[in-house]
Formats: sequence, structure tokens, C-alpha cells
Amino acid sequence: MFSLLKTEWLKLKNYKTFWILSLLYIFCIFAINYIAHFFIGKILTEKVAKGMAEMVIGVSPFGFPDVWKTVSYMSSFLNILPGFLIILLTTNEYSYKTHRQNIIDGWSRKQFIRQKIILCEIFAIISTIVTAITALGFGLLSDKAFTWGGFKYIGYFFIQALSYNLFALLLAVLIKRGGLAFGVYFLYTAVLETLFSNILSHYSTNAGRYLPLEASDNLIPPPVLENVQKTFTTIPDYQLLFFASLIYLIIFQVIIRWKFLKSDL
Amino acid sequence: MSVLEVNQLTKTYGPVKALTNVSFSVPEGAVFGILGPNGSGKTTLLSIIMDILKPDSGSYTLLGQPGNHMIRKKIGTLLETPNFYHYLSGEQNLKIAARIKECDERDIERVLKIAGIYNRKHSPLSSYSLGMKQRLAIASCLLGNPGVLVFDEPTNGLDPEGIADIRSLIIRLREEGKTIIMASHLLDEVEKVCTHVAILQKGNLLATGHVDEILTHDDIVEIHSTHSEFTVVAESMPDKTGLSRNGMYIQLMFPAGTANAEKVNRYFFEKGVVLSHIRITKKSLETKFFELTQKQ
Repeated sequence: MFSLLKTEWLKLKNYKTFWILSLLYIFCIFAINYIAHFFIGKILTEKVAKGMAEMVIGVSPFGFPDVWKTVSYMSSFLNILPGFLIILLTTNEYSYKTHRQNIIDGWSRKQFIRQKIILCEIFAIISTIVTAITALGFGLLSDKAFTWGGFKYIGYFFIQALSYNLFALLLAVLIKRGGLAFGVYFLYTAVLETLFSNILSHYSTNAGRYLPLEASDNLIPPPVLENVQKTFTTIPDYQLLFFASLIYLIIFQVIIRWKFLKSDL
Repeated sequence: MSVLEVNQLTKTYGPVKALTNVSFSVPEGAVFGILGPNGSGKTTLLSIIMDILKPDSGSYTLLGQPGNHMIRKKIGTLLETPNFYHYLSGEQNLKIAARIKECDERDIERVLKIAGIYNRKHSPLSSYSLGMKQRLAIASCLLGNPGVLVFDEPTNGLDPEGIADIRSLIIRLREEGKTIIMASHLLDEVEKVCTHVAILQKGNLLATGHVDEILTHDDIVEIHSTHSEFTVVAESMPDKTGLSRNGMYIQLMFPAGTANAEKVNRYFFEKGVVLSHIRITKKSLETKFFELTQKQ
């Protein structure tokens, strides 16, 4: 298996687009949290708004233990990007027919698609590590003492990142054409799922929360507005969301494998 | 043992029948040509053997076993078009192929030299011409010195020099005892290098066997005279198998290898007709191919 991964690495090593986007993505994880940190800090120190802000936001969300959740939540806005990379790398294989060549040269279909799934996992692990380091950094900068409490949100972040990556791979394998897959992926994650979720929830209370990516999205609730949110909606059943997310991860993989193993390439 | 055995392969794309119950076998050491016009199913057939396409029905064996990825590592295949990572150099692309085939990376230099692309090994693929990509694809096939090679339209995109290079490479590989399976729509190419041939048309196998049996062709003696009795004498020519007109010329057909200009010339002269033009030619393979395909 290690040898197969090394071959996958040869494909990535000299691909400039991939590296530029990856580095920008990692930088943006720091940046988006820095921006949030900056504005929340400003609001909390603003004398006039202070009382009001503390009521809504609570104490600074960038101190332990809340920082794990806050940074996970902020970083999760960028989870769409590794998915774009997955679509790019996979549909490139389709457009240049290199997926065919890999199989002609002697990989089995199973080996080929397993590499792509492993790539999704590695990207999710890297996103998670970068997010954890960012959270740790902001946490240590605050005046609160270090604690692992709330670290589970980093775990949820991993599940969410993996969900996006596998969903992206699923679209790439089903659609095959880069442009179309990018469009569907972006519109679904940005707009359509929220729409479907609202429609579903209209018919059955909160059912929309359990849509494929929505389930893992809801695992990490917005940290600062929790006090406000509590008064408007019911708290989701996190255990159910967690299991729903895991089931979707399995379903994504089953469809990806089934499609790639059975159809014409 | 046959290198490839194809059994009743059938493949459809919606309403289009790409292959219909195709069966044949490729003996070891053969240069096996799969011949047919565009869209006759050649690439579909080879794609099925390489597990790129799934057949509707039928089966195949490679080197005596049902096809699998471990056997594919031992076969050098160029299918349809050269498929490479456009942002990598020629050498980096071959490294990926070598890793997949589990062969020594040191072999890359050798195959690049054979294919005549060694001096461009560091250039990115995006700067390669179609002919250079084709040469690189041939190089990739030779990695690990496989005993079986599959070439789909190997001279596609090559200039005349490239075509001659590939032709002599195939002949050299044949002399080394390798089995070569080659798809082509160029009859001339197949006739020059192949020992065996299978002819496909619209997904049907029309004929398969030794190239001399399938692609036999008559000799033609092309003649002309302004004598008034010319046509009458031509029609009375003994031993001929046919006669046809080609503009101002008359073409007399004789069984392969029996055309004799001297005999024809003497016959006409003895009948009092002096020929102003006499030329031995072979029936074009295109004509032969049309004959084969029109019989169906």
C-alpha cells in the first residue's frame, strides 16, 4: 500500500496548482481565525457595547476550552477547498485519461480508487492538524489555562472535513467532467443544501439537519451566538448527528467504489 | 499456449453494437493485426482486455489466465491515445508507469533512447507534439521489457520518419520473439509487419488467420495500346482471373505471383497488337479490403 501512495505522491509532487492552492488554504485557516479573533476582541473591549456583547457572545470564545470549538467552526467555512482539490485531481485523471493508463499499466480498479479515498483522508487529517494547531495557538495567547475540554470539536471537524472531501470525490467520479463537478459541488454546499434542508424541516421538524453534509455541519454549532440560538431553535441531537455523519461517510465510499469498479472508464 | 484468447465478446453502447460475439486467439510470438475501419470496434476490443470497459457478455484470457492487473503489468499497452500527466516531464511520467508496472526505474533511460525521445525527457508533456507523445507512449510500453505488447494505432500522429521507426521497432521486437497485438486501420501497415490478422467491421469479426491466407491478392498487369483489336485480344488472354478497365488502361488479373509481363507482351505481339504501356502492379489492399467487407 505504501508503494501505491508513493506513486500517488509522484503525481502531486510537481503539480504547481495543487501546491499553491494548498498553501493558500492553510494560510487562510490562520487568517479566517485571526479575523474573527480581531473583531470579537474589538467588540468585547468596546466600552459602550461591552455589556450587550457579553450577553450575546459570552466570554471570549478564543480562550480554552471554547477555542477548540470556535476555531473548528471558523475553519469549517474553508472545508470546501480541499474538496475542490479532490475534484481537480480526480477529474484531471479523467480528462487526460490517466486513470485508464494507470489501470492499463497494472493497477487494479480497486487500487486506483482506494488511492483517491486515502487522499481524501490525508487531506482531512492535514486540515484537522492545521486547525488544531491554530486553536492551540489562539488558546495559548489568551489568559485562560490550557485544557483538553472541548477538544472533541477538533474530532468533529475531522468528520466534517472528510465528509466534504468524500462528497467531492463522489461528484468527481459520478460526473467526470471538471467544470460541471466544480459547479455542482459549489452550488450544493453553498446554497442548495441549505435550501433542501429548510424545505425538509418545513415538513418534518429539524429533519433537514440530517442531510449528507448538513449533518456534519451541525456537529459544530456557531460558538458565539449559541446563547441567542438557544432561544430560537431546539438543540440538535448531537449523538444522532454524529452517527448520521458516520453513516454518510460509509455511503459515500460505497457509491464511489461501486461506480468506479462497475462502470466503463 | 495462446497469449490472448477472446471468447464471444459482445459490447453495446446504448443502441450501438460495438462488438458482436467476437472470438479469436493470438498465438505466442505472433504479430497479430486487428484490422478495420474507424468505428469497427478495435479500440473497444482492446479496452475490454485491459479492463477499461466492461463487456456485456463473453470472456477473455491473457497468458492462459482470466485477465487481472498482475498480468497487465507484464504487458506493454498503448491504447487509443497517449495518456500522460500534462504538468510532468516525459521522464516523470515514465517513473509513474514504472512504479505501477513494478519495474526498475533504471529501465527508463533505455526505453527513452529506443523511442528516440531521450533528449526531451526533461520537457513538460504540455510542450510535446502529438508525435513526441506517441513516441513517449511507445517508450512506456517497452518499460520492463514485456513479452507481450499491445499497440493501438501505433503510428498515429507520426511523420514518415516516425512511421518507419515504429515499423522497424515492431519488426525488431518480433525478431526478439515478442508477441505483438496491433490494431490499425492501415492495411499497408498490417501487411508489412503482421503475421496474423483479424478483420473487424461494425463489431463483427469477418475473418481471422494467417496474414497470407486472409490478405492474398491477385497480381495485375496494366496494359495499353491504340490498336483497334486491343480490347478483343485482351479479353482472349489465357490464364487470367479477371479484367477491368482503369481509364485508358486495361487491367488483367492473374493469381498471386504468376503475372508475367513477357508472356503478356508476347501474346499481344503474336496477335498483331503492339502494347504502348505495360506495368505489373498489385491489387491494392484497399480493394481487397472492400471485397472482404462487401461479401457480408
